[in-house]
Amino acid sequence: MENVTTQHIDDKGQKMIEITITMPTQAYFLSGIRDFTLTLIKNMTNFSEQWAYRFQSIVDELCNNAIEHGSKEGEIIKIVFQNNPKDFIQIMVEDTGTAAQHMKADEINKLIESRKKQNALNGLIRGRGLPKIVSEWTDELEFTDTEKGGIRVRVKKFLNDPKLKQAIASNDPTHIVLN
Amino acid sequence: MTDINITIEDIKIGGSANDNSQSEGKVAKIVLFKGQLDETNVDEKAKLIYALLEQNPKNLHLLMNFEGLEYMNSKAIGYLTDWYSKISEGSGKMVIAMAHPNILDILEVVGLTQLIKCLPTVDEAKLELLDTSGITNSNQGGDNSSLIAA
Repeated sequence: MENVTTQHIDDKGQKMIEITITMPTQAYFLSGIRDFTLTLIKNMTNFSEQWAYRFQSIVDELCNNAIEHGSKEGEIIKIVFQNNPKDFIQIMVEDTGTAAQHMKADEINKLIESRKKQNALNGLIRGRGLPKIVSEWTDELEFTDTEKGGIRVRVKKFLNDPKLKQAIASNDPTHIVLN
Repeated sequence: MTDINITIEDIKIGGSANDNSQSEGKVAKIVLFKGQLDETNVDEKAKLIYALLEQNPKNLHLLMNFEGLEYMNSKAIGYLTDWYSKISEGSGKMVIAMAHPNILDILEVVGLTQLIKCLPTVDEAKLELLDTSGITNSNQGGDNSSLIAA
């Protein structure tokens, strides 16, 4: 695995850190990416520990999808973390589009929408990663076709999300959440 | 391959020396997970549980001890759902004990805590296995208490 870290100022004049990792399409590298994600979220963002674990799952699911459905063996996928400490974290995963069962962005979007409606006991082993886990735990989820024929998936989570406030409040033992 | 160790043991879920699960026709097992279930190991390790289901197609009472489980991906959740369905079809029961907050969180987001009872201790999970009423007194997941604990 290789990584590049850059720091720049965004449109709003806020400091943003971008980390790019390239990873061979072998699933045994995923545990390293999960560890990296957990460490990154815990130490470089203002998200809670609960969200660090959630991002760990999000990144694992996105990378695994890029490996299994997006790229041939022996190629590389690209993972980009963009962290604006006061506003959001954005993660992008890009595959090469060379896998046998590769789909276009439109097809993936339709598949995810249809699977969102399925109940927990749907009889399938697969099909929960993107529609249930990634979709539920992010504010934006977007698939686009790349010029090279692959898929770029982009997820974004804002710090000022109401669901996030509940998670932060829940860490306070004096705060009772009633739903 | 990511490290995961799964061990299966017989358990007694009855209250007295004469009241053991075998005499009631129930087969009670505890499955202990230690490590992480991900894409590199889940297909291989799932075979252990499927073998157990094959050996005990009826009245299997399974306690999944997640105390040592650090991570599970969506495919592992898919297998868990399939085991639950098969055990339920065979008039058995499956419960989860001692899941970490991050595991409970992911089970909750896919809707599994509504179906599978998640108990904070092994003793409570054993009691749940004995209970045939379907009423749970302290589900670890399926409500906001799990999020607060996280």
